[in-house]
Amino acid sequence: MKLKEVDRTAMQAWSPAQNHPIYLATGTSAQQLDATFSTNASLEIFELDLSDPSLDMKSCATFSSSHRYHKLIWGPYKMDSKGDVSGVLIAGGENGNIILYDPSKIIAGDKEVVIAQNDKHTGPVRALDVNIFQTNLVASGANESEIYIWDLNNFATPMTPGAKTQPPEDISCIAWNRQVQHILASASPSGRATVWDLRKNEPIIKVSDHSNRMHCSGLAWHPDIATQMVLASEDDRLPVIQMWDLRFASSPLRVLENHARGILAIAWSMADPELLLSCGKDAKILCSNPNTGEVLYELPTNTQWCFDIQWCPRNPAVLSAASFDGRISVYSIMGGSTDGLRQKQVDKLSSSFGNLDPFGTGQPLPPLQIPQQTAQHSIVLPLKKPPKWIRRPVGASFSFGGKLVTFENVRMPSHQGAEQQQQQHHVFISQVVTEKEFLSRSDQLQQAVQSQGFINYCQKKIDASQTEFEKNVWSFLKVNFEDDSRGKYLELLGYRKEDLGKKIALALNKVDGADVHIKEEKEESEFLPSSGGTFNISVSGDIDGLITQALLTGNFESAVDLCLHDNRMADAIILAIAGGQELLARTQKKYFAKSQSKITRLITAVVMKNWKEIVESCDLKNWREALAAVLTYAKPDEFSALCDLLGTRLENEGDSPLQTQACLCYICAGNVEKLVACWTKAQDGSHPLSLQDLIEKVVILRKAVQLTQAMDTSTVGVLLAAKMSQYANLLAAQGSIAAALAFLPDNTNQPNIVQLRDRLCRAQGEPVAGHESPKIPYEKQQLPKGRPGPVGHHQMPRVQTQQYYPHGENPPPPGFIMHGNVNPNAAGQLPTSPGHMHTQVPPYPQPQRPQNGWNDPPALNRVPKKKKMPENFMPPVPITSPIMNPLGDPQSQMLQQQPSPPIPLSSQSSFPQPHLSGGQPFHGIQQPLGQTGMPPSFSKPNIEGAPGAPIGNTFQHVQSLPTKKITKKPIPDEHLILKTTFEDLIQRCLSSATDPQTKRKLDDASKRLEFLYDKLREQTLSPTITSGLHSIARSIETRNYSEGLTMHTHIVSTSNFSETSAFMPVLKVVLTQANKLGV
Amino acid sequence: MNHDAQMDYYGTHLATCSSDRSVKIFDVRNGGQILIADLRGHEGPVWQVAWAHTMYGNILGSCSYDRKVIIWREENGTWEKSHEHVRHDSSVNSVCWAPHDYGLILACGSSDGAISLLMYTGEGQWEVKKINNAHTIGCNAVSWAPAVVPGSLIDQPSGQKPNYIKRFASGGCDNLIKLWKEEEDGQWKEEQKLEAHSDWVRDVAWDPSIGLPTSTIASCSQDGHVFIWTCDDASGNTWSPKLLHKFSDVVWHVSWSITANILAVSRLFSQEELQMQPQIDHLP
Repeated sequence: MKLKEVDRTAMQAWSPAQNHPIYLATGTSAQQLDATFSTNASLEIFELDLSDPSLDMKSCATFSSSHRYHKLIWGPYKMDSKGDVSGVLIAGGENGNIILYDPSKIIAGDKEVVIAQNDKHTGPVRALDVNIFQTNLVASGANESEIYIWDLNNFATPMTPGAKTQPPEDISCIAWNRQVQHILASASPSGRATVWDLRKNEPIIKVSDHSNRMHCSGLAWHPDIATQMVLASEDDRLPVIQMWDLRFASSPLRVLENHARGILAIAWSMADPELLLSCGKDAKILCSNPNTGEVLYELPTNTQWCFDIQWCPRNPAVLSAASFDGRISVYSIMGGSTDGLRQKQVDKLSSSFGNLDPFGTGQPLPPLQIPQQTAQHSIVLPLKKPPKWIRRPVGASFSFGGKLVTFENVRMPSHQGAEQQQQQHHVFISQVVTEKEFLSRSDQLQQAVQSQGFINYCQKKIDASQTEFEKNVWSFLKVNFEDDSRGKYLELLGYRKEDLGKKIALALNKVDGADVHIKEEKEESEFLPSSGGTFNISVSGDIDGLITQALLTGNFESAVDLCLHDNRMADAIILAIAGGQELLARTQKKYFAKSQSKITRLITAVVMKNWKEIVESCDLKNWREALAAVLTYAKPDEFSALCDLLGTRLENEGDSPLQTQACLCYICAGNVEKLVACWTKAQDGSHPLSLQDLIEKVVILRKAVQLTQAMDTSTVGVLLAAKMSQYANLLAAQGSIAAALAFLPDNTNQPNIVQLRDRLCRAQGEPVAGHESPKIPYEKQQLPKGRPGPVGHHQMPRVQTQQYYPHGENPPPPGFIMHGNVNPNAAGQLPTSPGHMHTQVPPYPQPQRPQNGWNDPPALNRVPKKKKMPENFMPPVPITSPIMNPLGDPQSQMLQQQPSPPIPLSSQSSFPQPHLSGGQPFHGIQQPLGQTGMPPSFSKPNIEGAPGAPIGNTFQHVQSLPTKKITKKPIPDEHLILKTTFEDLIQRCLSSATDPQTKRKLDDASKRLEFLYDKLREQTLSPTITSGLHSIARSIETRNYSEGLTMHTHIVSTSNFSETSAFMPVLKVVLTQANKLGV
Repeated sequence: MNHDAQMDYYGTHLATCSSDRSVKIFDVRNGGQILIADLRGHEGPVWQVAWAHTMYGNILGSCSYDRKVIIWREENGTWEKSHEHVRHDSSVNSVCWAPHDYGLILACGSSDGAISLLMYTGEGQWEVKKINNAHTIGCNAVSWAPAVVPGSLIDQPSGQKPNYIKRFASGGCDNLIKLWKEEEDGQWKEEQKLEAHSDWVRDVAWDPSIGLPTSTIASCSQDGHVFIWTCDDASGNTWSPKLLHKFSDVVWHVSWSITANILAVSRLFSQEELQMQPQIDHLP
């Protein structure tokens, strides 16, 4: 697809690869005159701006030159890595001159842009090339077999590569070798190419096919292979490109005959050695693979010849071609549509006209018809073969559960050189663990929950607390699990009952007088009514009289009112007591309304039992006192609400230190949701460890609430749910799937939690009930239905699968420690062969962990060391550390950010499936090539499990074993024949076998065939295997054991080894024995 | 030669694609590796695979040098081709499913410079929207923004469905990262142009974490640079780049962990390096 064009009849040179942005320099061609026959010459620099969709190239600078050019190149001389200095433009002129320009000065618009000039050559300088190893070295070629090597640091005196070739001829091309810096090649229209060794200062080889019809217009070295080069011929009688290998210089290695007429220029891509551009007098621009001769691409061009063609060094998909019609065109070889481009122009037009009805005719303009010719060319296909630079060779992607999927394609060079390379294709799945402390604390929390050791846990937390507040919080939490929790709370608030008793006693002693006084009063009051003497019942008009009258009429209420009015509080209260509960209450109220003492309100609350009042209106500085009062007096049913209320006030009205104290109130209240809210407000809860801080408290508090208040805590608030799922997500991201599941709240319908739970369950490999009903039906009606197809994944047809399995059965590399979910050996074995599962368990170190998933150890301990690897290095470095490192192991701490060792998962291996003989361990044969460097010590059969096999998940499977055993299913009827046939055969063999060794073998075989029967019961064998087994059974019945053995071999070689490894080898033993014994 | 490997939503199935034109699906539960499907249909190297969200069933998208995007689907345990998207004129280099909240939408970036959006409209029909000339001479990567209104965890959701704004990022051979936004009329519009790379942008990855006030994008390039772009303002207009690392050669791939505090950076010879993000350490 054409990207840009410039109307110039010019030689062209791209800026070096280091340069950004990309420039294209053009220098007026000496050989062609443009349509104006102008003899003016100029050197111009354009910028390739791909973000501009137009075809125009942005001109950066024009320099009017007195020269016209035969050749123009742009070398990276003295360029720094950032590309700040733009290198040097080297031009070959008409009269033996070579001119060096400074492109940065041209761009800057300076007048003095020539760095140096030398006209030592004879005739036009048609050939120039910069040495890519020493960018100060430039080779040039001109007439009379002249070749000079210029040192840009010392431009005055060139060197020669050796004596001039005879007879004298024009040098049309010159090229430095791409691999060996002192090798140079030159070629001339006469057809000969000469290779020079600058160290020897002489030509070392001459390349010619003796046809005398090669007319060299192009010469290029292979970018990768030092001894190969191509020559292009301009002769219409021999329009070919010859590929030569100097090691076999008698004839061309390959001849590309894709052009119909002479070739004018070639260019070999440095980014992909399989791409060679050529343009010829047949007006074609082709891109071919010189290593095969195949034409990969034909550029859509006009009918004009191109005389120069160049790859853009920086952008490998871009090339430029200069044609005789006076145009330089920039193309992309990736194809693409120019529709958008043109559409853009159309859009631009219509937007300029305002709308589709620019002339107000009431008729919108008809849509613009793009002319037929352009429509034909609007879609340009890309190269037939994808270029090297778009083939992504590596990748690493995260997936759920902190797993990292990585792949790489490592080339293993073999002896035959680059053409025959073996590639290793592996995909690795590894566990990434970065939050070690987080996981270990989470683990501790789980243990505490599991062992119900809450008090200990809280105590540890108290001891480890860094701040007073933290300590308080944990102390409060701890109290929840102790007897007399309210009393303990009071103590924590600074009110010990004993202390208080002492204090009161002390106070009473001090104010002894008052005490006496009270007594006296009492005595007085007792004395008065009981004095026995007469007293005057005054019914006068004063207050006393009125009270008397009221009392006499039994009107307590009025009497009390009168007393209150007269401020006779004691009288009022006493009368009120006599007047009944209701009156008393009212009187108390009135009393408190009148009384102004500091502690009145407290007394009020105590007497009226109105704690809400206290909590609602106390000074927040006295929150402790208020909380203490509530702890002392509040009834169980109102206690929580009051604590809550106080907490809410602290949170809403208090300053920030008080706000955090609200947490304590919520703990007393057992209000998890509010604790979460308050904590989240006060703390930065987003870091894993601070989330851990919160979750620890929440989990403990929930447990406390469960224990003490016997409340249903299964309902989970929105915020807590959010935090819990965030926490579970974090755990999952560190690979602790089981722990994540354990922490997720159970009974909630909140969608995010339900989703996460489902995801976690499935990630553990457990099928989830109801998964057959996706929420959104997806074109069910479109797809064939009712096929008697297999149901589960494990019953998928397994055609073409054999070559992919072997690696799956490889034992992991020595020292390879696997994490919970990524154990290749566990997969086939666990669910399907319950009979022998127990044998797997004992070898693993099992610390005192409960086996319910709460305590799946975090994977972090087992993260092996991983270094930067050399490119051809495959296996992970073996680790020698024990599987269960103690926490805090310095090595694993240091390595916590490293990924765990990958599991090779070959999708393309072509290793032959080994034929198994007699239950031999098969390891080693199938080791991926790259692993041959491993110590060969690891050769245990799979059955025994790998070292460091999964702990978490295995436990779950182990747990479920007993039930599985009990409910062993019957073998399906159609397969029962297999069992009877095989057992019958073994019996027959046993009866005719004589030596004890054979009998032992057969006994063993009989036992091991149980695995087969188990698989039949579970119906986990693929149809191909079962049908194969039936064929074997049939051949046993006809006593054709050799046919049975052939069938056996066939099954083994076409099936998944993990499916068959448990029983196929013994079946072979039985068949062989039967054949031998002739039973 | 493998070109991509992706796990499904649960991490139990692995899809790989290769220059041998195949797409393969493995069951990797419990560490096993059982090939359950070898999907043939592409006529060129397959560059990328992408799993749709599991709520739509088991659906995989793949893109290839053959200019095609194929949607594969499992029905009754059998994987089959469900749809073929042939509207690109050059290699399709990247596919990425939109957040599931939007429905089934697959963004595809191609060497023809266009990005197409493939939307499932029900009953086996897919609708295509195409952004032409998104990246001159090629789009190398597409990555969707998570389906959240920025800051939704901070301001508690009030229960009503948030007004999602569909956005994705793309990177291309014009050295640019572009951010695209769906307008109210359903048209896609270039919203931002992020310039910092001096060579092809090989990959972009939008931070998948939700509910944070900051949006983050990682990008990597042929020039060896890995940039982290962040945007704090709600309008999404001001993005600032921070150079995470400068490698000596091309960086092919960037991938965020699910919780987005780890970035995996892939380049040749040191197959992956994990980088903790100092500047986003405070993120969950």
